[in-house]
Amino acid sequence: MNILEEALKRGEKTLSEHDSKLFLAEHGIPVTKEQVAVDEDEAAGIAGEMGYPVVLKGSGSELAHKTEMNLIALDLRTEQEVRDAFRRLTGHSETPVKEVLVQQMVKGDRELVVGLTRDPQFGPCVMFGLGGIFTEVLEDVSFRVAPLSRWDAHDMMEDIRAKKILNAFRGKPAVDREKLADILIAIGKIGLDYDAVKEIDINPLKVLDGMPIAVDALVVLDDGK
Amino acid sequence: MLSKTDLDKLFNPRNIAFIGASENPFKWGFIIVLNILKGQFRGKLYPVNPNMTSLLGIPCYPSVKAVPDSVDLAVITTPAKTVPALIDQCGEKGVANVVVISSDFSETGPEGARLEKDVVNRARRHNMHIVGPNTMGVYSAGPRLNALMPPVAPLDGGLSMFSQSGNVGVQMLYWGNSKGLGFEKFVSSGNEADLTCEDYLAYFGDDEATKVVLAYMEGIKPGSNLLDVARGVCRKKPVLVFKGGRTDTGGRAAASHSGAMAVSSRLLRAAFRQAGIIEIEDSQGLMDAAKAFSSYPVPRGNRVGILTRGGGWGVITADICEERELVVPSLPDELIRRLNEILPPFWSHGNPVDMAANILLEPFMECMEILAEWDGVDSVIALGGSIQGVFDFDAKVEGTKELKETVVLAREVAREYTTQHDVVLDHTRDLVDRTGKPVIAVTLGDYDGFKSDLRDHGVVSYSTPERAVRALKRMVDYRRFLDSPVEL
Repeated sequence: MNILEEALKRGEKTLSEHDSKLFLAEHGIPVTKEQVAVDEDEAAGIAGEMGYPVVLKGSGSELAHKTEMNLIALDLRTEQEVRDAFRRLTGHSETPVKEVLVQQMVKGDRELVVGLTRDPQFGPCVMFGLGGIFTEVLEDVSFRVAPLSRWDAHDMMEDIRAKKILNAFRGKPAVDREKLADILIAIGKIGLDYDAVKEIDINPLKVLDGMPIAVDALVVLDDGK
Repeated sequence: MLSKTDLDKLFNPRNIAFIGASENPFKWGFIIVLNILKGQFRGKLYPVNPNMTSLLGIPCYPSVKAVPDSVDLAVITTPAKTVPALIDQCGEKGVANVVVISSDFSETGPEGARLEKDVVNRARRHNMHIVGPNTMGVYSAGPRLNALMPPVAPLDGGLSMFSQSGNVGVQMLYWGNSKGLGFEKFVSSGNEADLTCEDYLAYFGDDEATKVVLAYMEGIKPGSNLLDVARGVCRKKPVLVFKGGRTDTGGRAAASHSGAMAVSSRLLRAAFRQAGIIEIEDSQGLMDAAKAFSSYPVPRGNRVGILTRGGGWGVITADICEERELVVPSLPDELIRRLNEILPPFWSHGNPVDMAANILLEPFMECMEILAEWDGVDSVIALGGSIQGVFDFDAKVEGTKELKETVVLAREVAREYTTQHDVVLDHTRDLVDRTGKPVIAVTLGDYDGFKSDLRDHGVVSYSTPERAVRALKRMVDYRRFLDSPVEL
């Protein structure tokens, strides 16, 4: 396991989105299919193999707020759209972008959030709630102290006001709660096992055919100093 | 690590040395001594005051070291600056525990904090434990120990409480008296300079006489193992915590009051829930829940049968149940047939069982029994079983002779009826014992029999369905916790 160590060695404060997801995937958390491209042809090639539509995102550990920085191109449906988007993202005047993440476009029907925070009293704590833009507005989240038992994980799903969002609705299947519990338990375990992980923010965790999948993720590092 | 025997001498002392005993009725050194005497402490009391040879006819000693016996418990009420030296004397005497009533320690600022640290260091050198400082005292039913500041004499019962606010805690003792709730042990934890809430929780957890643990808490200290302790205790008996300082404003007040750490209130509440602690949001709710937990079995699930004399109250109760995720299941045909035999044709034919203004006691008791014995519910809420006061006709009615005579007769019938109230209560308790399900009475109307319902008949009754459902929901939550698998 050296994603963390290498990033720390480079003096980085966060993992890039891609490295964050590689790290999370190694710990059993489902993430989007994605690959890094350094030039236009490579991006087009990856997109072709992955299948359209795709998303292009500027990649790099310093790019934590890609939406605000306009470094995302969504729902690209043709090779030409991918090539245009690549040029736009890498031609950004203020922020030099050398790499671009080519990512499976996950529409999903619900947006959740899962996170890890550290508390001086309780140590690593897992957060769960409504994701996307609603996280900040509605603050509909619940917390549990790690380690989480399976019961804790299910109980914290029951603990948000909008818990009905996890049920079947509008022809969409219910969220697979066992899979969701796996994720919550795994996040707590990461908190206990890795002191170098200060925070984790998976937002959104989308739901596709009942299966939760991390669409954006950020791992914040703690160099111990 | 604290051993159980350390606190045995706090809650079951053979004797007390009271340092700062006084004749002045406006001093705590008098008031608390009086409470100890009025409480008929089973052990010996040794007042300590160098300026007196006797207090209220009891021999007084110039210092704790002059007491002609080994001492289990010392109580100190003298000014803060005198306390460190007194702690040394207690230590040299071999005292096991000291209750420091005196205030003006860490709660008042850095100077007081230094003094408090000094007191703790000295106590630890002597292997002695401190309650407080800035505590309102200790109560324990076994030895009839009532070393409390206010003159409250708690009823006997299975509740034990620790409180990070003396005033809030003591108020629960007072309310317990008026509601019929009895206490086994009580401690105001004060500044928790040495003994902390987790020590008391662990002790109450092991204590056979304690059936339910109550607490008022504002926060926990860094590194506290309260939650580990709670995890163990909550599997054995319910722990009900009323948490103060839930909001930012309340949290700031708590920081200056008990010095509670700024642990995120949200995380603390989540951690409580993980540990199996039942959090209560208000002071009356704490008493209501304490009553249910200490007197009734925990229901096996969340299904509720509702019995009412009037439709509206049934509707309201069903609403509150559903809002709190309690299920009000439909009645099977077989049950409806049985109820048809008892009730007039216009009864509700469903759950809530609305007796449709039938005021007779017999059918009420039969319906209650049918509901309680039905395996489709785990608990019953029975509204309006008490008709006490409802038919208290005014005999001074103006009118014809016939009217007056009829009213007098009605009044007698109503009185007769009221005396049968006890029959309903005893039947209710009998159902609880037979079925193992809580059968909660809701009295509505003006009623002052709650204490008697509980103490004379063992029946849990509340004034409104809201209070009943809230208390019941706590029990259902606790059942959920008890049924959750233990993971290591």
